[in-house]
Amino acid sequence: MAERNSTDSAESRYSEILSPSELFAARSRCHKIPVRGQKDFFPNDSDEQRQRLEQSLSEHWSLTSEERVERLGNLVKATWIPSDQVVELQSPAGKFWQTMGFSANGKQYLLPEEALYLMECGNLQVFYKDLPLSIQDGYERFLSSNTVSLLQYQVFGHLKRLGYVVHRFDPSSQPSTYARQLNLPQSQDKAGRPLKRKRSVSPTPMPTSSRTEKQDSTTEMMEVDKDEKDGKPPGSHLTTSPETLEVQCSATSTADEDGGRTWWAGDVLECKESNHSTTSTSSSRWDFSSIPFPDLGSRESLSDSLTSPDPSLLPGGLAVGVCDVATWRQKINLRKVAMSSKEQGREDDRRRRRGDVNKDREVQQCRNWTEYQELMARRQSRCDGRPAHLWNREVTPLHDPRQPLPTRELLEKISVIKSTNLLEGVSRLKESDEWGICFSVYQPDSVAEFKKSNPGKPYSHMCVCSFDGPVPDLRAIKLLASQTGDVPVVFAVVDYGDISFYTFKDFQLPLDVYP
Amino acid sequence: MLAEFRAPRRRNRVHEEYEAPLPVTQSPEERSDFRAELINQHVLVRNPDHIQRIYNQGYFGKGILSRARPDHSISDQWEQHKGLCLPVVSQSRYEERLKWAGAALSAQGLDDEAVSQILTKLSQPVEAEDVRREGPRPEGGVCPHTKRLRLESQDLNLSSDQDSDYDPDPGSNSGSGSGSDSDSDPDPEPVVPGPGFVLVDCDGDVRSTDSESRSGSGLQVRELRHNPVSVSEYLQLSVEEAFFLVYSLGCLSVHLHQEPLSIIQLWRTFQSQCPHFISSYAAYHHFRSKGWVPKGGGGAKYGVDFMLYRKGPPFYHASYSVVVERVDDAFRDTALRPFSWRSLAALNRITANVSKELMLCYIIYPSDLSEVELESPDCLSRLKVQEVMVSRWVSSRERAEQDDI
Repeated sequence: MAERNSTDSAESRYSEILSPSELFAARSRCHKIPVRGQKDFFPNDSDEQRQRLEQSLSEHWSLTSEERVERLGNLVKATWIPSDQVVELQSPAGKFWQTMGFSANGKQYLLPEEALYLMECGNLQVFYKDLPLSIQDGYERFLSSNTVSLLQYQVFGHLKRLGYVVHRFDPSSQPSTYARQLNLPQSQDKAGRPLKRKRSVSPTPMPTSSRTEKQDSTTEMMEVDKDEKDGKPPGSHLTTSPETLEVQCSATSTADEDGGRTWWAGDVLECKESNHSTTSTSSSRWDFSSIPFPDLGSRESLSDSLTSPDPSLLPGGLAVGVCDVATWRQKINLRKVAMSSKEQGREDDRRRRRGDVNKDREVQQCRNWTEYQELMARRQSRCDGRPAHLWNREVTPLHDPRQPLPTRELLEKISVIKSTNLLEGVSRLKESDEWGICFSVYQPDSVAEFKKSNPGKPYSHMCVCSFDGPVPDLRAIKLLASQTGDVPVVFAVVDYGDISFYTFKDFQLPLDVYP
Repeated sequence: MLAEFRAPRRRNRVHEEYEAPLPVTQSPEERSDFRAELINQHVLVRNPDHIQRIYNQGYFGKGILSRARPDHSISDQWEQHKGLCLPVVSQSRYEERLKWAGAALSAQGLDDEAVSQILTKLSQPVEAEDVRREGPRPEGGVCPHTKRLRLESQDLNLSSDQDSDYDPDPGSNSGSGSGSDSDSDPDPEPVVPGPGFVLVDCDGDVRSTDSESRSGSGLQVRELRHNPVSVSEYLQLSVEEAFFLVYSLGCLSVHLHQEPLSIIQLWRTFQSQCPHFISSYAAYHHFRSKGWVPKGGGGAKYGVDFMLYRKGPPFYHASYSVVVERVDDAFRDTALRPFSWRSLAALNRITANVSKELMLCYIIYPSDLSEVELESPDCLSRLKVQEVMVSRWVSSRERAEQDDI
């Protein structure tokens, strides 16, 4: 630091090392940001106003034209590698390594946008061909169509300055719906390479994690068993005594170092067989077509008692006798019609009147079936009084006000238009180049315990667009919704440096019935 | 990722009672047969009973002389006079209305002498017994008193090529028009006669200057007179509301030149009137079938197609501002209302300032929907509705800590 450069003006352009007096001046300069003061709403051509404006303008100008001074020791050195479009660190990384950068081949790398951001912060100095890059160089080289665009970088910088953790979006890291159902954590790091997994004792190759949640293992046992089709005992077999099996299996699993889920078929059977001496149906498949299951609801004549089932179908130690189902069969297939006394009276009247149809003079006058039908229609409309222009045409109203319904059923009756959600019909759509998710954003509070290898679920996904560009239509919204899973998509709209964020979220209006 | 539902905000003071969600009754005895006319591309309901029921049960429509509820009345002040409850107008207003009647009569070709004769006869004080004989609120029928009036001065029945405010129907004069809120008798004793009568405050001009005369109520003289010009208020229904009442509930009939229109005719008429009728009707129908009350006419105030209310405008503030968009099968916009980020940002700001949420309602048309199918309302079952909430996210730290996106 004490080196003195020559006072040659030609070299002063590249002189980054300050004399002591310059350094002192730089360190002790005022750090205050000029106060803006009250806004003036219209120009009033007064000297005072002009003076005030000039003063604040000059303050801002001097602030922005300030040169930044940094300790050389604080700057992390790095080199730019254009072939890979990454920046390789030469000296050890600072605190930023917690949330930015990645390791590969034993070396530390930074993505170009991260490097540019750190350069602007004054933490990093990037060299290319042994020459340090200026900020302008950084903008020109690091931002391109292969890396990130200027708009995207502006959003990146904005969010990082507010403290968020911003990573590039990796579509392959989105778990499939099935994996999400099982609540599997992501097993890939930022650079997209799978982490090294500890081997676990399992006959079938499936990614396991080091969790031993008993709850999950039971349910997953059932679920996975239903899906797998090779020779394993059916789910029903396991449901009868899950607890006992679980106890044994968890004992074996905790014995494992990584505690992987060792509840696979082979292990289960081993557990079971080690305890139960009877080897009933070990790995034989059950033929369901030959096992008769009694149909208690059928109207065909079945005997009133069920024979006892085959003991080979039952878990060991269980004996079931003959079952008497006579009372049960009497209770099913019954229909009870509850009529009030008024309705009963009406029903009786109708039955009485039915016998008189032939004595009706008008009916006797009808010569054929068509005339009879017309007579009935006329009578119907007369006694109902329904307006003919509504009811006797091609399209009739959805509801007849003469047949009152409670509100909820009425609303259901008139619901002819179906609602849909964002993910419906997405598979038909082709990918579009216009709209894509750029970044995954994580909340700033989690910086302390943030792990680059396992960042967790992002707070949101960012899609960057320009203010002069189009607004996403439903097609774009649907495409992005399918890419994102259950993380909200935020549109960052850039207007020459001013950024606004908008979200378009799926919504279902709830049914509101006020009785 | 589903947007969360925020409960609607109740209004601070609720003056009204909730009658029913829709104007179809739960009891089979009451009839729900309402009648509306299609006049000059507007759907108007004229019968005061129908107006009350359609508005009170579901908040359909708007009174043409009122802000929302059709409660136009000749005066805000009603008083009791010899057992009758009547509106009070000042002398100057009464004379003004007499002048209107005179102008209408002269326009019909009567000479000045005949006009002044009629007016003098009209401005005679009326006995309270005559009014009471007429009975309370003749419902569209012709009462003996008005019949006598009609024979005397037939020209008072103003023809229909006058102002649309005036009652064009010669049969029902002042007896049937007004939808004023004289629907409920405040007391059982005083009778509320039809709107053909007013109480004229004879020293009305003095009253405004001299406050002492006002305090002494005995000094004021009220005279019972005929109402020279009776202004009746109608209920105006938007095309979506009218079609909903006709098609979904079957309780309204729309007449054009005294002929009732069938559903298909009405559909086609409305389609020719409003180019995007199908989309906006589909959205309206969807919201109504979820039990919410969509009110149109928010365009001038909030820049959107509908405002959604829970239960009705008097009870809750509107929760959502809805913009209706039409998309085809591949979910591409046909841009009923093309948005730019600037206009979307502006609309979002306005909506946030009035504490509502902006909702885009996309009506999805399948690709195989032909023109022929669009001619009938049966095509509605093939449409689908997608609701999307638009909201702004503020990236600064304080906001992020408070709630999720």
